[in-house]
Amino acid sequence: MRLFKLIRVGLPMMIFLGVMLLLWRGLTLHPAQIPSPLINKPAPQYRLPNLLNKKMMTERDLIGHVTLLNVWASWCEACAEEQSTLVAISQNKNFQIIGLDYKDNLADAKKWLQQYGNPYEVIAVDQTGNSAIDWGVYGTPETFVIDKKGIIRYKYIGPISMEVWEDTLRPVIEKLS
Amino acid sequence: MLPELGNFAIILALFFAIVQIAGPFVRVSGLQYTAVFSQFFFLAFAMLCLIFCFINNDVTVLFVRDHSHELLPLIYRIGASWGGHEGSLLLWCLILSGWTAFFLIFSLMKKNIPNELLTKIIMVLGYVSTGFILFLFSTSNPFKRDFPTEPISGNDLTPILQDPGLIFHPPMLYLGYVGFAIAFAFAVAVLLEGRLEKNWAHACRPWVIMPWSFLSCGIVLGSWWAYRELGWGGWWFWDPVENASLLPWLAATGLLHSLIVCEKREAFKGWTLMLAIITFALCFLGTFLVRSGVIVSVHAFANDPDRGVYLLGFMAIVIGSALVCYLLRIKHFYQPPKFQLFSRETFLLLNSVVLISAVATIVIGTLYPIVLEALNLEKISVGEPYFNTVFVPIMLPALFFMGLAPHVSWGQQTVITLWKKMRWTLFFSLLITALFPIVTGFEFHVLTSLGIFLGIWIIFATLQLFFQMKNKSILPVSAMMIAHIGIAILVLGMTLNKSYSVERQVKMLPGESVNLAGYQFTLNNIHEMNGPNYQSIAALFNVQNNRGKEFSVTSEQRIYLSHNQAMSKAGILVNMWRDLYLALGTSFSDGAWSVRIYYKPFVRWIWCGGFMLLLGGFLSLITFLQKKGERHEAI
Repeated sequence: MRLFKLIRVGLPMMIFLGVMLLLWRGLTLHPAQIPSPLINKPAPQYRLPNLLNKKMMTERDLIGHVTLLNVWASWCEACAEEQSTLVAISQNKNFQIIGLDYKDNLADAKKWLQQYGNPYEVIAVDQTGNSAIDWGVYGTPETFVIDKKGIIRYKYIGPISMEVWEDTLRPVIEKLS
Repeated sequence: MLPELGNFAIILALFFAIVQIAGPFVRVSGLQYTAVFSQFFFLAFAMLCLIFCFINNDVTVLFVRDHSHELLPLIYRIGASWGGHEGSLLLWCLILSGWTAFFLIFSLMKKNIPNELLTKIIMVLGYVSTGFILFLFSTSNPFKRDFPTEPISGNDLTPILQDPGLIFHPPMLYLGYVGFAIAFAFAVAVLLEGRLEKNWAHACRPWVIMPWSFLSCGIVLGSWWAYRELGWGGWWFWDPVENASLLPWLAATGLLHSLIVCEKREAFKGWTLMLAIITFALCFLGTFLVRSGVIVSVHAFANDPDRGVYLLGFMAIVIGSALVCYLLRIKHFYQPPKFQLFSRETFLLLNSVVLISAVATIVIGTLYPIVLEALNLEKISVGEPYFNTVFVPIMLPALFFMGLAPHVSWGQQTVITLWKKMRWTLFFSLLITALFPIVTGFEFHVLTSLGIFLGIWIIFATLQLFFQMKNKSILPVSAMMIAHIGIAILVLGMTLNKSYSVERQVKMLPGESVNLAGYQFTLNNIHEMNGPNYQSIAALFNVQNNRGKEFSVTSEQRIYLSHNQAMSKAGILVNMWRDLYLALGTSFSDGAWSVRIYYKPFVRWIWCGGFMLLLGGFLSLITFLQKKGERHEAI
């Protein structure tokens, strides 16, 4: 009887503590970062023109290099933010950076590269956005890390800062190369 | 200059909030009361400073830079001062101290709360206020400045917020949310005292009813805003943040009714105190969810981990200490029940049970994604299908009892007399429900009919109450009657709208016509228009009903200059029975446009029901003011 009474009176406290613990745990999670189902799968096939010379490019260009595939657009404000980081890390020759220009106006894109710098080995243009759907892109910027065999190993959502590079992307790339 | 003054005012307000806590310990007469009013004065002053910074478009203030622009119309600049996290938190603090000041004046005038208790209530409020002002000042200061080296212009208010909804919805919602702090402080102070004054429930009731009406109205305003702005004619999305405002509403509805039992029958005391704590805890939970970024939502503010940690810690202290008080003191409030199984008390208890179950299902649905993620299982989001499946069946019996309960006597009642009293009402409600599809020509669905029946049943049963009143004053019950009928109208509106809305997506060239739900929609022309800070493409539609009457309506596609973002501004034709909702989509190369046309019956009834809840709340306040203040006696 005493136990019953204790439970009855203490129940709100227990529920409260449980919820608080859960929320505390929740604070360390990142619900906006949805894991890509493409991790550890081969990169999707594509056939897209190069922004600068109109040459066709395919997923076979990914084989043989560790690749950072960066999805960007000239209308995307956050992309301008990460560009200086990308330019800085493009000095590193252990990997190649490929751009995927998403639903963009070609003239704007070229002007934008002149303004913010061009860290890309090559830039594939996806004007319809169909290829981006295959990649599971739902916003810009997004960055994929692809290994030498053309398999996607990591996806980062949002602009890359120097800290993100040092803490997150660099270790992944170093492990692959 | 203004930002510094505002900042200084916040510091002074913080100081006075601390003085307010110290009230019961420092026996200086009038000190605590002065602190309450000074705190309100300085927070109001800070809010005015912020509003003037917006009016002057002072881009050196970071918060203004992020939310204003020189082209932003004046009215939205004022609204923008609570259009982001920092400003809305200042508004939150201001409203809390406003409620406290109002409560103090009111109680001093009516003299219905003994001084000891009043001092303790104000102390608890000071404790909450200190925490929030400290939060405002340390993690979310709206007056933080940064002097740019070259002239820059502001980032402008997000286009979706540039709507009259922004002016009314947040203040109204906060008036509700924050107002429950008083009932919470009341409960904690009573627990600290360890005994109940005889008329405490009566004294506490207006402080539940007022915030409750504001919250009801705030929620409905939010729904109206979403309906107009989001461009697809929905009015409730089960978004975590909508849930965050619905949760305290449900708990407060329970509190409102259990306070009645406390007042009239001296029962349910412990449970009522618990509900007051739960209600405010849910307000806290909502604030935390919106501002910490633990959930993904269209409403969520840009987040910062410090804020989440602070709010969580503060919530743990405030609600945790209230629950400790409850644990230690609740034995003083226990009384054996004095009523029969079939009585008004039982029905009001059922009301609490149903509402708290509804709260639990929504909390589970809202937090479930965090649980799964915390256990490293998977990332999911819980949406409409879950909530509709679990919430609706729980609420259906509650709606039936809502018509019945006011007819049941206190103490005890026999089933036979109740049946004799209500059978004709029941019969006519069923009859009208059965006739509805036949007369109106709407298709018959079982669930729809159930919704219609419940709505009509509540209206009839409530009106019956009105006709059976013999030479009693009508005012005291009118508030309840209006609020209950408001709920019935809300239920009818939601049911009919959900069941009979029709929509069509079409491709239209200027001059083309489309038929939907007995109306003919003709795209008259497409032209360009210029607004103060946007350019828009406007489509003029002519709408003809089947009796040949014509209306015209404009639907726009706006491009806001500073964001380069397109927003659809739907054209809506309104009347009591239906809305016609036209949203302009994208253009095709041949000059055609995609257009979504919705026929939304009874959607106005939803807003109308919501405003009746507000009206009911005000009527009940008037009743309260008219009653002579009863002197308090200890039992």
